[in-house]
Amino acid sequence: MKEHTLILLLFLVISIAIMGLFLVIFQSSKIENETGMQNPKKKRFFFFIILASILLVLLSITIPKSPYFQYADNSPAKVVYIAAQQYVFLSSFQAITLDNINTEAIEVPANEVIEFRVTSLDVNHGFAIYNDKAELVTQTQAMPGYINKLRWKFTEPGKYNILCLEFCGGGHSFMRSSFTVK
Amino acid sequence: MASISLKRITSTWIITVMVLFVIAILFGITMRFNQGKLIQISPTSFYSIMTVHGLTMIGIWSVAGLAAIHYLLSRYLSIPTSISVFAFIFTVLGVVMLWSSAFIGEFHAGWTFLYPLPFKVAWKSWATPLFLSGLAVLGVAWLVWSVGILYQILKKYTITQTLGWQHFSTNPSIETPPLILISTVSLIGIIVCLLSAVVLLVLFFAEYFSNGAYSNDPLLMKNITYFFGHTIANETLYLGLASLYELMPEISKKPKFKTTWYVALAWNCTLVFILTAFFHHLYMDFVQPLGFQMIGQLASYFASLPAAAVTAFSVAVLVYKNQIRWSLSNILFFLGVMGWIIGGIGALIDATISNNIILHNTLWVPAHFHTYNAMGNVLFSLAFFVWVANDFSDLPVDSGIPKFIISLLVLGGFGFVLMFYLGGAMSIPRRFALYPPEFNNLSWLATLGGWFAVVYLISILFIFFTILKKCLKVFSAS
Repeated sequence: MKEHTLILLLFLVISIAIMGLFLVIFQSSKIENETGMQNPKKKRFFFFIILASILLVLLSITIPKSPYFQYADNSPAKVVYIAAQQYVFLSSFQAITLDNINTEAIEVPANEVIEFRVTSLDVNHGFAIYNDKAELVTQTQAMPGYINKLRWKFTEPGKYNILCLEFCGGGHSFMRSSFTVK
Repeated sequence: MASISLKRITSTWIITVMVLFVIAILFGITMRFNQGKLIQISPTSFYSIMTVHGLTMIGIWSVAGLAAIHYLLSRYLSIPTSISVFAFIFTVLGVVMLWSSAFIGEFHAGWTFLYPLPFKVAWKSWATPLFLSGLAVLGVAWLVWSVGILYQILKKYTITQTLGWQHFSTNPSIETPPLILISTVSLIGIIVCLLSAVVLLVLFFAEYFSNGAYSNDPLLMKNITYFFGHTIANETLYLGLASLYELMPEISKKPKFKTTWYVALAWNCTLVFILTAFFHHLYMDFVQPLGFQMIGQLASYFASLPAAAVTAFSVAVLVYKNQIRWSLSNILFFLGVMGWIIGGIGALIDATISNNIILHNTLWVPAHFHTYNAMGNVLFSLAFFVWVANDFSDLPVDSGIPKFIISLLVLGGFGFVLMFYLGGAMSIPRRFALYPPEFNNLSWLATLGGWFAVVYLISILFIFFTILKKCLKVFSAS
């Protein structure tokens, strides 16, 4: 099952459980003889301990999976330079600056670590890579004056689309590009 | 005991907030119907509406929260009504300036107005300084109001008492009412983030007037922008909770909530964590120092735990197996806690860095913040509005749950946000006037979301008309 679907299912299951719990609590307020919650202090203690434990476990599992650590020890097989500007993405295997604006079709190998060096020549943009099933694979921001280095290993060959995911002006939703993985 | 002048200015705030809320919802529906291709507006109009929609929503619920605590704190303190009147006049002025910059000047840099976008002028050249000046006017108004309220609190309580620190000892000398504790925590946060907005605006104006001699650092500007935006959105929610702690037991005819050591600890933790959680907005800026990214996830996780867990548990203890006299106001508080917690789960998922890489700036983001706002914070403020409207007039107090209104509210609200969650999980980008070709087949999600918002709007109109007559009554009272 895809990560996106798992996240959605997890959220829906937890949300329905919370709704159910609130419904039970609400229904319990319609009784004739009120007894209130028994041992609320004890229940509160365990409630907090369980919640804190869940959060700590989630932290320890998810932090190492952060994108900053992915492929950090690998040498990239290819370095792709991306410069965003209203409303295009320039891409090249050579550095792109305001003095050296160039763009070319990008083709990178599958199952190799690729490093994207992403910047912007004007305002903030997003650099989001979508596969041919329109699933968001990975992303970083394109910020003027800074270079964000995004590393990724593409396991599926094919055409990948690039969309801008940071609002950048009137043409934002039309800003796109693509590259090929072989 | 609230004075007649306090009642009148509070009533004025409520009517203004409700009118602007209805208009801002209509803006939202317009955007969803455009994405669903049910109507067609230009991208410029879409983004002008988007800019106004975001700022208006954050703004009106901030002032609603401030108006609520101003009113409720009058039970414990004397706060001059004049600062609320001052804030109202300047708020109206600020809103007119912002709306003019967007609808006449075509300014459309979004509520985030991320540097340097406001300077890449694609609108009338006067719209940028008018927009920034409008924000400055609002900032001054709310800063004066917040500082004024906090000053009055500190005239009665010491700073440690307002934060409830004496509750950490076995025999506290004085009890800090939860309203004082939560209002103080929220006001400190609001004042700090408004001061950061002042810094942000000064930096914008410094570059604007330097004629190219000075330019700002985009990463620093982004950090300040999100510190301001994230913090004010969350503190606004906490203002709503201050009303809940004060009113929900009272309306339910149960003993008042008390500040205990764990309630004090929870809100002190919230004060610290919420000021650093904003880093999660910059996860996808890999040049941000790694430590800040880690703090972002840690603070996001633990900002949610204390306040949410303590509040949810306290509400559960209040209601569970206790006979409650349900009315529109306390059912709104109850549902608001549920919506806030569900929105918080959505936020927590997004604040996890390894998830954020596939959720950042997709529709998952408006999904979670609309959940804890439209189905959380808004309901807290509406609960206060309903309760205070009864306080304004001698008209009969409504009792029981208006099932029709609540059904529309729940169906419309959760249906509306569900379409966002589905869109986010399907990787649809946010802030797109039109969906890109690969998502054309999913534009029905936007249309259906818009229709759910219409249902939500109908319930809001019912609530508005329920309280309007009582709110107007206060102007004819002597």
